[in-house]
Amino acid sequence: MSQSPSTAERVDRAVGRVLAGESTGAATAAAGLAATDRGIVEVAALLRSTLPAPPVGPRFEARLGARLSGALPTRDAVGWALRHPGRLIVTGAVGSAVGVGVTAFAVWRNARRVPSPAHRLLHR
Amino acid sequence: MTTQPQRRDTPDPDLDAVRAAQADRAAFGILYRRYLDRVYGYCFYLLGDHHDAEDVTERSFLAALGAIDRFRDEGASFRAWLFRIAHNELANALRSRGRRATTRLDAVAEPEGGEDPAGALDRADDARRVRHALEALSEERRQVIVLRFVDGLSAAEIGEVLGRSEGAIRVLQHRALRELATLLA
Repeated sequence: MSQSPSTAERVDRAVGRVLAGESTGAATAAAGLAATDRGIVEVAALLRSTLPAPPVGPRFEARLGARLSGALPTRDAVGWALRHPGRLIVTGAVGSAVGVGVTAFAVWRNARRVPSPAHRLLHR
Repeated sequence: MTTQPQRRDTPDPDLDAVRAAQADRAAFGILYRRYLDRVYGYCFYLLGDHHDAEDVTERSFLAALGAIDRFRDEGASFRAWLFRIAHNELANALRSRGRRATTRLDAVAEPEGGEDPAGALDRADDARRVRHALEALSEERRQVIVLRFVDGLSAAEIGEVLGRSEGAIRVLQHRALRELATLLA
């Protein structure tokens, strides 16, 4: 058994019809509202015709558009770092360890290198 | 009272543009152009100041761009998701003001009156009366009216923006319209 719609639901249906361009009389009747509720539907029609979207300043529109397309990579990197501070620390630590390791290996390898005859002649 | 996102009956019309933006952030421009006016309108009617509305609109789009990867087609539409972000930014702005929104909506452009000068005057007068009546509504009722009539969101979408059930939004809308009818009588 289906429940009959509440008044609020009927008003919402009537508002939907008014927003789609129907007359208040037709919307009131189609939504199953009583004639006494027609005043509410008339207010809805008045709101539809008198509430314009305020104009957006063209300079603001251009500035924000440029900001959205221009500031993206920096924002992403900063955002990632802020969202994952632990990962940032691990990334830094791993990066440092790799750097130290590579340097130590280079020093060790250089120390063990057997000098060539030309090198020995030059540094005699 | 908060609600879980409800499954929509119709597909999200913004889904292709959202997927494109998730793959390539440059494609976010499509969504920006599609929703700039509406997000700005929502902010303006709640804040009553062009400068503040621009600030909150800017924060909303930057936050949406930063979070676009986290949007999932799991109930709430993209536009409800976007307006939810704007709603949160708006709440922050109102909190930082430390007072209830003092809306002065006189700066809104008058609606088009067509060719008839008398008709244009009547419309301008109606628009002024409506704006003054809107200023008298509570913030919550005004949000419902603006999201429904300026931004064209459904009761279900408004519920997702404001964290209320669809039924609660219908009741709020009904009460707001009744209050406006009294104020405009």
